[in-house]
Amino acid sequence: MTKTEIQLTNISNYFSNSLKTTKDARPRIGWLCTYTPEEIILSGGFTPTRIFGEDRVNKAEGYFPTNFCPYLKSSWESILNDVSKLGAIVFTNSCDGMRRLYDICKTYRPETPSFMLDVPRINTDASLEHFSNNLFELTNFLGELKKSEIEFDTLKKSIELVNKKRILLKKLDHFYSKFDGLIDNSDYFEILKLSMISEPGIFIQDLRIYLEKIAEESKTLGIIDENENDSFPPRVMIIGNFINESKLWESFKELNCKIASTDLCNSSRYYEGLVEDIENSFKNNTVENLLGAIATRYLKKPQCMRMANLGIKLKEVKENITNNNIKGIIFFSMKFCDTTLLFYPLLRQYLSEIGVQSLFLEIEHNNFSEGQVKTRIQAFLEIL
Amino acid sequence: MGFAENIKETLITKIQKNLNRNYIEKMLDIVGSWPVLPVYGMTFASKSDKYLNIATIRNIKKAYSKKYPVAYGSIFLPYELMHSLGLVPFLPEVMAGFTAGLGITDKTLKEASSRWYTPDLCTFHRSALGAVELDLFPLPQFLICSSLACDAAQKTFYIDAKKYNIEDNFYLIDVPYKKTSDSIKYLASQLEDISASIIKKMGKQLDMNKFRDTLRLSNEFRYWALKVNDIRKELLIYPKYFNGLNYILPFHSLAGTKDAVVIYKNIYFELKDFLEMQKESAGDKKSSSNIKGKQKAGKVKRILWLHLKPYYKNDIFEILESNNYRVVFEEISQVYWPELDEEKPFESLALKMLSHPLNGSAENRVAAILEMVTSYKIDGVILFSHWGCRHSNGSARIIKDTLRNNNISTLILDGDCLNKNNSSEGQILTRIQGFMEIINSKQN
Repeated sequence: MTKTEIQLTNISNYFSNSLKTTKDARPRIGWLCTYTPEEIILSGGFTPTRIFGEDRVNKAEGYFPTNFCPYLKSSWESILNDVSKLGAIVFTNSCDGMRRLYDICKTYRPETPSFMLDVPRINTDASLEHFSNNLFELTNFLGELKKSEIEFDTLKKSIELVNKKRILLKKLDHFYSKFDGLIDNSDYFEILKLSMISEPGIFIQDLRIYLEKIAEESKTLGIIDENENDSFPPRVMIIGNFINESKLWESFKELNCKIASTDLCNSSRYYEGLVEDIENSFKNNTVENLLGAIATRYLKKPQCMRMANLGIKLKEVKENITNNNIKGIIFFSMKFCDTTLLFYPLLRQYLSEIGVQSLFLEIEHNNFSEGQVKTRIQAFLEIL
Repeated sequence: MGFAENIKETLITKIQKNLNRNYIEKMLDIVGSWPVLPVYGMTFASKSDKYLNIATIRNIKKAYSKKYPVAYGSIFLPYELMHSLGLVPFLPEVMAGFTAGLGITDKTLKEASSRWYTPDLCTFHRSALGAVELDLFPLPQFLICSSLACDAAQKTFYIDAKKYNIEDNFYLIDVPYKKTSDSIKYLASQLEDISASIIKKMGKQLDMNKFRDTLRLSNEFRYWALKVNDIRKELLIYPKYFNGLNYILPFHSLAGTKDAVVIYKNIYFELKDFLEMQKESAGDKKSSSNIKGKQKAGKVKRILWLHLKPYYKNDIFEILESNNYRVVFEEISQVYWPELDEEKPFESLALKMLSHPLNGSAENRVAAILEMVTSYKIDGVILFSHWGCRHSNGSARIIKDTLRNNNISTLILDGDCLNKNNSSEGQILTRIQGFMEIINSKQN
């Protein structure tokens, strides 16, 4: 029995149709990194399904060294167990760990077609062009799987659909972060999770209905005054990599800690930013132009610490702090993630310069030490 | 202890006691001055060691001298670019190896830990970060790194740039995953843009003649390095203290300089002499007494070494040699790139980077290893699994399985290249002994 079941304890009736799409026999393509363009996978006739790596590591241990990304190890376990019955997997050149997972998958599971998408680490005209070319290769890979080429209209529709999903998730975030007690931490993250594994069209319908209900409820609640300096509970921001721990989110609720903003691989870095300028792209009616617009979105979205210019990341964090009146930052890093582990000291120094407290928590994946983490968060909240 | 060792030990003790940039500069001034440097060079047992040490000291001294613009560079950069731009390269990762040799890693790592760099990270980068924080390294004007092979360098170089308040002079070369005509174009354009940006900041103009000269020297170095590697296909008896893993600095950062040419030309002639001695000893049993090593060529088993080695004092290579095992080649000594086209410097250097077996898929690395196994008639492979290197260690399973399918024994030797406290000497010895027993039993 794995943990892949979505646990929408309070609101499962709103998302029952989406939930069904995670279990039916539709063709799926797995992905792991938020630099994977879901719109392209969709346009190939596949449902993009994020690999959450929720299987306890057993067989996978023998393929990687001990001190290796636990998320990737668990993901390999899930791939070996064929949890999501994936037709193929799209990997990205995001980090050393991901490159090695791709190698392992290609070598030891050749029956599952896999594609490595090379994502640049810089954002320049040349890198955009290079990325667009790589996206074109992805369309060829999917075209071969589907045995037909990806066409302009299909890709255009997919872009519009995924953009809609992003807009609604942004709205969900608004209700979650601006209203106290309106949406549970656990529900928020479970909905986000569902958005990454369900059929987007159906998920959008479900989320729209849910948000209508939430909007109604919000009218009875006052919006949080972000300018109030002594607000209690103190407003914290969560930064980290891929943090998928339902117990952790429950702990925040128990500690009466308000998560006012998140910058995670499974939150804002997933849904922030739209594929823009598509009107111009549409004029030329070529797939290549659409791919250019997609490339731009992915290189401009809130960046992962893998990107070259960490100054941009610091700027993004600062904007978040200012816009959301953040009092403290809790930084979660999964063990052995070099990109986040090397970012924290830089961030910590920067935060101390601007007078914002931070807490660093290094955690395992699927092996969350609830008591210990809770105690440290509690102590941190007392300081705030 | 010989004269050279005595000088080294004295220097090490003095630096350990006076750990700061100015003192290191002062020491380099003394050791690197005439006639001290040539005299120091004469104390080495072999020509290869002599030229390696002289060039290393001279180039590090240059970086500390404050007379030239210094650029920090990550290990797999095409250093021809820096030399063409008139920059003096300084390699923090390689210098982190020196911190182990100098016995100051405890201090640099402690400094890094105190600044929230966790022990889970690679010690090369942690030690380099600690050294930067302790103000041990020369002040850079530019920092250039690439995404080739390693994630950590990109991050640490940005952190260093921030520390020196020169973020605008931080450059990341984004190396594409695959070698295609598009990716060569993309990479070449980056190299050209970076060169233009740096030279503008230096208030100079790009001198394409300088690029041509540098590439010509790089090709000359490549020619001698290939000849060295060719000789090593047969060579089993080496000069005292020769270890291919000591040549990272000239192999990378001196590519495109006369120093690299001189070093590799001298290695070639020295190894050629040893090969002749080896051949003589094979034909004439009496002459074997002329050979300095303890080994008898006919009985030696050939080892290919993958990744790096511990840079603190250790017995690994002595244990191997005393059991008639010889590291006949190292992964890092492979000349992996084609001859550079002097008329197309940026494309050539882009191609050089993209030809690196550590770039992209592990398939590239495995193919290179298999080629080395065949060329050097390898009996066994040792992969030194340096703590925290996700890039190299993540491929260990694939390398081991592939070599097993080719009937080659492989030892994945866990350890730490810099932090001896993170390497178990006893365990390493036991594992090497077990490995040698397997090879012996196979051959018997």
